[in-house]
Amino acid sequence: MSTASGANRVLERITRIPFGLNRMILLIVPAFFLVLIFFIGPYLYLLYMSFMSQAPAAPYESTPTLENYSIAIRDSFNWRVIRTTLQFGVLTTLITLVLAYPLAYHLARASSRVKGILLILVLSPLLVGIVIRSYGWMILLADTGLVNQALGVFGLGPYSLMYNQTGVMIALVHIYMPFMVLPLAGSLQNIDPDIEGASRSLGASPWTTFWRVTWPLSLPGVAAGSILVFVLTISAYVIPALLGGYNVMTLPLLVVQTVSQLFNWPLGSALAMVFFAITIAIIWLYMKFLNWMMRGLT
Amino acid sequence: MEGEARRRWILKISVTLIYLFLLAPIFIVVAAAFNSGEFLRFPPEGFSFRWFQRFLDSQPFVDAFLFSLRLAIVVTILATLIGTAAAFYVVRHSRRFRDLLRLMIILPLPVPAILTGIALLIFFYAIGIGTQGSIALVIGHTLICLPYVFLTVSSVLVGFNQSLEEAARNLGAGPWTTFWRITLPIIKGAMISGAVFAFIISFDQFPISLLLAGVGSTPLPLQLFDYLRFSFDPTAAAVSTISIVMTVIVVLITERLVGLESLYWGKR
Repeated sequence: MSTASGANRVLERITRIPFGLNRMILLIVPAFFLVLIFFIGPYLYLLYMSFMSQAPAAPYESTPTLENYSIAIRDSFNWRVIRTTLQFGVLTTLITLVLAYPLAYHLARASSRVKGILLILVLSPLLVGIVIRSYGWMILLADTGLVNQALGVFGLGPYSLMYNQTGVMIALVHIYMPFMVLPLAGSLQNIDPDIEGASRSLGASPWTTFWRVTWPLSLPGVAAGSILVFVLTISAYVIPALLGGYNVMTLPLLVVQTVSQLFNWPLGSALAMVFFAITIAIIWLYMKFLNWMMRGLT
Repeated sequence: MEGEARRRWILKISVTLIYLFLLAPIFIVVAAAFNSGEFLRFPPEGFSFRWFQRFLDSQPFVDAFLFSLRLAIVVTILATLIGTAAAFYVVRHSRRFRDLLRLMIILPLPVPAILTGIALLIFFYAIGIGTQGSIALVIGHTLICLPYVFLTVSSVLVGFNQSLEEAARNLGAGPWTTFWRITLPIIKGAMISGAVFAFIISFDQFPISLLLAGVGSTPLPLQLFDYLRFSFDPTAAAVSTISIVMTVIVVLITERLVGLESLYWGKR
């Protein structure tokens, strides 16, 4: 023991930093510089790049300009892409909410043994890579895919379900559903079933009970899930690329194409910043909403 | 209460259908991998391992698989060490800048990864590294995996009873002995779940890899993506199945080591 503590004392002396600085600060140094240099730095550079001029031969020219932003927003093609992306976001969020609500309700009210199994069912798709899940939908939705084969038995179709917006929507709803179920189940779980029971025994119909009791109390979960799904949907790349077959253009596809295929760094950066601003604005709105909700409760 | 029973049935049936919707694509991929035909049909044409043979014969797929595995291991080690150290500092030793540091480390999580990839791509070219080799990939992946380790380890450290460590010190143990004998065993569970998160996130990572993969260093999801753009024969299904099986094995090992709840909630 004494040799061990002797060695410890030596070790302590070696690792001590002069000038009275707490040597514990060494613990944060790697993470701090990793994020500073390779996250905050690149984003600041992206911001800088978005104000540079486009150049025909080089990736950019260092004359400041606002032109990239005016092209990013005012060009009719870009504007249409932004609108399509937001439409996908809103639609996916609504459909996911409608499908996830019964699932979350069932999950929240399940006995704890069943709950464990159901939770694994909800979460396990998340452990499978997004490319693989998209591939599953390609097998299902292709012109000769399983869905069309099944419809063919009834003399229906074949419908074109892939390489268009329908396929993209189906896969988006599927892939982001767990992110809606979990927060919803969390807030539904906090609602005492007796409150619903009280509402029913006072003569309210199930429908009224749902809209006047359950739904308002689950709003924090609704908001959390919706914001998560919306932000994830508008930044999806794999699904619109594979199931849209590049017939469906969204903002992430456009940004990547502009930067890595057209090598137009300034315009790509401006588009990325617009995208970034949209994301931040939505997260900010969500925070506002939560604050407003909390005020309503106290 | 006849209506009550009927409503319960409607809920049950719709819930079952939604679960089916949630799990169908994954089962379909696995089924396609073992089906002998070029296309999945009903009734299935027969059981076969030929698509797995195709995978083993395909150099690009085997290379991508091995590359992804190595990348994920390196990234997991880096993210676990850096993230755990950072969690220690932020929870125990930071004062004025605690919230700022926490926000800074978690930030890569809510920001769309595809944007981080774009920013890193332009940045790496600007400083002259480009995407040669795999240094850009390692850094990008570590950045994305760091918050998971940081959050799971932090959550345990916050509830950590420090009097245990003080007791060890009072009984004559040095700081290192205390760390190895007391602190590490308590946070081990959180570190392992953080590491498993990091491994799975890195192994399945797509947006960062899309932008930062260099020539000759293609991770599996990217290789699969490129393949699926031109054909979707069941070789891709065999690759996907192997990748799914690997994830399941990792999760099962974790379950053995720390229990599955800690994977979901970062408990212990």
